[in-house]
Amino acid sequence: MPDESRLATADRPLVFAPKPSRAPPSSAIGPIAWMRANLFSSVSNALLTLLGAYIVIVVFAAIINWALVDAVWEASNRRECLDKVGRAGACWPGVIAWIPNLLYGLYPKDQVWRINAAFLMLVVWALPLWLPGVRSKLAIGLSAVLLYPFPASYFFHGGEQDLLWTALIALGLAAFAWVWLTTFSERFTGLSFGAFVARVTGDAEQPEESARLRARIGYAVLYLAALALAAQWSLSEVPTRYWGGLFLTLVISGIGITFSLPAGVMLALGRRSHMPFISLCSTAFIELFRSVPLITILFMFNTMLPLFLPVGVEVNRLVRAIVAVCLFAAAYMAEIVRGGLQAILRGQYEAAAAVGLGFWQSTALVIMPQALRIMIPTIVGNFIGLFKDTTLVSIIGLFDLLSMARAVGEDTTWLGLFLEPFFFITLIYFVFCFLMSQYSLNLERRLGAGQRR
Amino acid sequence: MKKSLTLLGAASVLFAMTGADAGAQQTLAQVKQRGALNCQVGLPTPGFYALSADGKWSGLDVDMCRAVAAAIFDDPDKVRYQSVTSAVRFTSLANGESDMLSRTTTWTAVRDSQLGLEFVGVNFYDGQGFLVPKASGIKSARELDGATVCVLTGTTTELNLADYFRANNMRLQAVTNENVNVLVETYLGGGCDAYTNDKSGLAARRSAFPTPDDHVILPETISKEPLGPVVRHGDQNWGDIVRWVLMGLIEAEELGVNSRNLDEMLKSDNPNIKRLLGVEGNIGQGMGLTNDFMVRVIRHLGNYGELYERHVGANTPVGIPREESLNALWTKGGLMYAMPFR
Repeated sequence: MPDESRLATADRPLVFAPKPSRAPPSSAIGPIAWMRANLFSSVSNALLTLLGAYIVIVVFAAIINWALVDAVWEASNRRECLDKVGRAGACWPGVIAWIPNLLYGLYPKDQVWRINAAFLMLVVWALPLWLPGVRSKLAIGLSAVLLYPFPASYFFHGGEQDLLWTALIALGLAAFAWVWLTTFSERFTGLSFGAFVARVTGDAEQPEESARLRARIGYAVLYLAALALAAQWSLSEVPTRYWGGLFLTLVISGIGITFSLPAGVMLALGRRSHMPFISLCSTAFIELFRSVPLITILFMFNTMLPLFLPVGVEVNRLVRAIVAVCLFAAAYMAEIVRGGLQAILRGQYEAAAAVGLGFWQSTALVIMPQALRIMIPTIVGNFIGLFKDTTLVSIIGLFDLLSMARAVGEDTTWLGLFLEPFFFITLIYFVFCFLMSQYSLNLERRLGAGQRR
Repeated sequence: MKKSLTLLGAASVLFAMTGADAGAQQTLAQVKQRGALNCQVGLPTPGFYALSADGKWSGLDVDMCRAVAAAIFDDPDKVRYQSVTSAVRFTSLANGESDMLSRTTTWTAVRDSQLGLEFVGVNFYDGQGFLVPKASGIKSARELDGATVCVLTGTTTELNLADYFRANNMRLQAVTNENVNVLVETYLGGGCDAYTNDKSGLAARRSAFPTPDDHVILPETISKEPLGPVVRHGDQNWGDIVRWVLMGLIEAEELGVNSRNLDEMLKSDNPNIKRLLGVEGNIGQGMGLTNDFMVRVIRHLGNYGELYERHVGANTPVGIPREESLNALWTKGGLMYAMPFR
């Protein structure tokens, strides 16, 4: 009886089967090898590594000792802190007592929920942008940029509403409701809100006109409901002179950032335009605002503007600052966008023209998407710069985050406390700027801006 | 404190003066129509215009704003505080944004005559001094030859310091910064031998040192700093109102009228008290106020002595003793002297 197993082996073609490779020696993989390759590859590198590590450890140990180990967490004034640890440790109770001011300025403390609610509303509004299965993302994004400001400003400012104002707030509320109704209907039925309303109210057999009419009625009902809500809505007035702290910083930079991008695109297109008047105006505006420091523009808007207004007319101080910041940021953004436009090859314009696209179509569909993608790092860099530049409004008497931090050390209870509040707001600024920068990196990765060109 | 104007500020003030006349008339009417006084204070400074953790302004200069509001509205809370840097303080007054300025501003000839300002009086007499560590053994400013001195930059404080050292043939090494807290840290860290500022500021800062008793304020006062409220040129009536509220506060203290005994004092037979409180005469109406405007002020805030003790007196963190200082009443050897109420 033949050995079946041997036969089977014999039938099989002879193939070289290497032994499984042995694991690399521990000196070639793992953290030790990595360190040897990257940190201690030569004597001089090893010395540099040790020096670097020493500096980092000393600095961080000092900071941690000061901020955490030796810090005082409970005291009713700075004298108590000084008596406990002197100046060796941080005195956090002062910062903790001032946190409401640092975050919200002099905003009435019992009304602070309005600010929180408005920011929560923004988050909820923008949330569908990150949800899969939602198709109307462009409309949702646009509604957030264009219509969120109305309900938000009512949350922040409150007070009497006139007819137009009520209508605008209602528009914002309706848009908010629409965003989430759309999100649900698109996620669960795959239909847009209008189509969903049409489907629910009638059978699909009916002609298209009737469906469209019913969708419109759906929108109208939504708006009327929002209008009824807005008319009922009443919040006490909080004048802008009470706004301050992080809230004010976010309001100014938020508006500046939102305004500067579209305005910058328009100005950049205007500057490259072949129409002499538009080109001249855009160039003049850009050069005027770019050649003057922001502090001077703020100063001009804040102290000079009232001189040219009739007696008794008072333009809100915050509005003046915001307008100044917006115009300044737009001028800078225009030059960034123009740089991006110049990077687009002439062939793209010609190809767009060849398929019959007009100026606006080729700009919006061919040129801008490519230009904006390569401009992301610069644009976000500019946003981050703008966010930090808003600290300059302190000179014209607005209490932003930085001026609030300065005020802590002048409070008689916490007199002289200035490192701690600055440390605290440094963390706040870092978090915001780091998030912006991370978001831009994320955006770049998703759009493949680095590779696709 | 008396930070000098930046070039920017100075230029704009001159520019602003041209437009000031239009807005200057009938400030009182504007204030009444608005329902609130726009009062400019400085960036928070202990004792004079401090911001507390609960978001309230308080201080000697803040109470000056509140006193004017009380005189007009019978409500000291009808004030909108504007807190701007000293670089733009006069411009913010000249362009009509602020109705008055109450922020430790030194009354000088140039400011009074050339910047379109009207100084209405003095609510605090200050002067520049030096703070040194006790361990240094320095007993007089004359011993500071060759010393490094920490000083606020861009201020008359800095100029006074240079003047003093030059006049006394002493060598000066100034360490400058625009932030008081940074200077104080430098001083405490041994970065300079002495710290100079207005004496009111020195006392307040020293109180926040880890060991206040290890530092002494030298006896010399090297400058005159009469601080007081300021209004725009061109509306004398408004200037009168602010001036006589200030005078009334001082007069009330001299006559012994305070917030506690006000109701008894209203029945007083003393003709001076009667005129001050508007029981007799038409002083208030002559200015466009009610005759009892000082009653309102004293009821809500008290007299000058009460304001002083509440905000900068010896029992406050700022701790500036009033006895035998320039800020005592003239009857007690000081300079606080109200013009007669008649």
